[in-house]
Amino acid sequence: MECVLRPCRAEDCAEVVRMIKELAEFEKLPDQVEISDQVLREDGFANNPFYRCLVAEVPPEHRSRDGHTVVGYGLYFFTYSTWKGRNIYMEDLYVMPEFRGKGIGKKLMSKIAEIGVENRCSQMKFVVLDWNRAAIDFYQGHGAVDLTAAEGWHFFHLEGDALKQLARGQLGQ
Amino acid sequence: FKDFKVHPPASDPKLAINSQVLILDLLEDGFGEHPFYHCLIAEVPKEGQIGSSCIVGYAMYYFTYDPWIGKLLYLEDFYVMEPYRGLGIGSEILKRLSQIAIKTNCSCMHFLVVIWNKPSIEYYVRRGALDLSTEEGWHLFRIDKENLLRMASGE
Repeated sequence: MECVLRPCRAEDCAEVVRMIKELAEFEKLPDQVEISDQVLREDGFANNPFYRCLVAEVPPEHRSRDGHTVVGYGLYFFTYSTWKGRNIYMEDLYVMPEFRGKGIGKKLMSKIAEIGVENRCSQMKFVVLDWNRAAIDFYQGHGAVDLTAAEGWHFFHLEGDALKQLARGQLGQ
Repeated sequence: FKDFKVHPPASDPKLAINSQVLILDLLEDGFGEHPFYHCLIAEVPKEGQIGSSCIVGYAMYYFTYDPWIGKLLYLEDFYVMEPYRGLGIGSEILKRLSQIAIKTNCSCMHFLVVIWNKPSIEYYVRRGALDLSTEEGWHLFRIDKENLLRMASGE
């Protein structure tokens, strides 16, 4: 099946938000999605975009059961390591269930890897949920190493009231 | 060294943070047209030398994106030289970073800590940080340059 990868355009944001919600649903965390089409547009298409996005599109004759031709996306941005310099961070990689098994996910990830290499990035990083066996196998098949298991790296976040208290110079709890 | 200043550095070629990333890379990547990172430094006056100061700590950060909630501030490195710890420099750096996060409409601050680094874990948990790897099962994965090249060439 013919599938084209191209940079996301501002008018694709509604479709990307739809797929962001589908991915969150799959990750069993749908209540955490607060993004809107408008915010995604502002943040991705301003002077200094905060992210970049590729979409996978199929021709109209192969559209999904619900009538969508944008069937997958890869959202990424550049990060930095004091040890290795520029990195590329793959934040989201998603293909609609009915379009899986056709190599679209691999194509998206390869394109992001290519963009990383073109931009002198020394590594790609991303996170996966520990129960998502299919994704872990997919990534490990491409040489990915689980740094949380291998080296003990844990992700922390500071938000909401704790962040505000820190900003005021107080200890949070 | 009771008085210290925390501020963004001017382009200082002497800001050598590590051995693998060249100073020239740091200059280009931090002060070029598209900065890949931002940096705060903590300076103290040099004892006995009026008008002179030395750098004793730094925090490297950049902005990342969570498609669920939008902009985030990511703290990549946070370091205060040992003789200058326990003086509130780290707290002041975190305070400035939090203010930057709020001012730039970031929903939260993210960072990584190695799980056996108990003092660091306690330092952050005391300030309200939550371990998402333990709480929600997120694991960090890395694909190195060799495998990136392989993927980029379509293998």
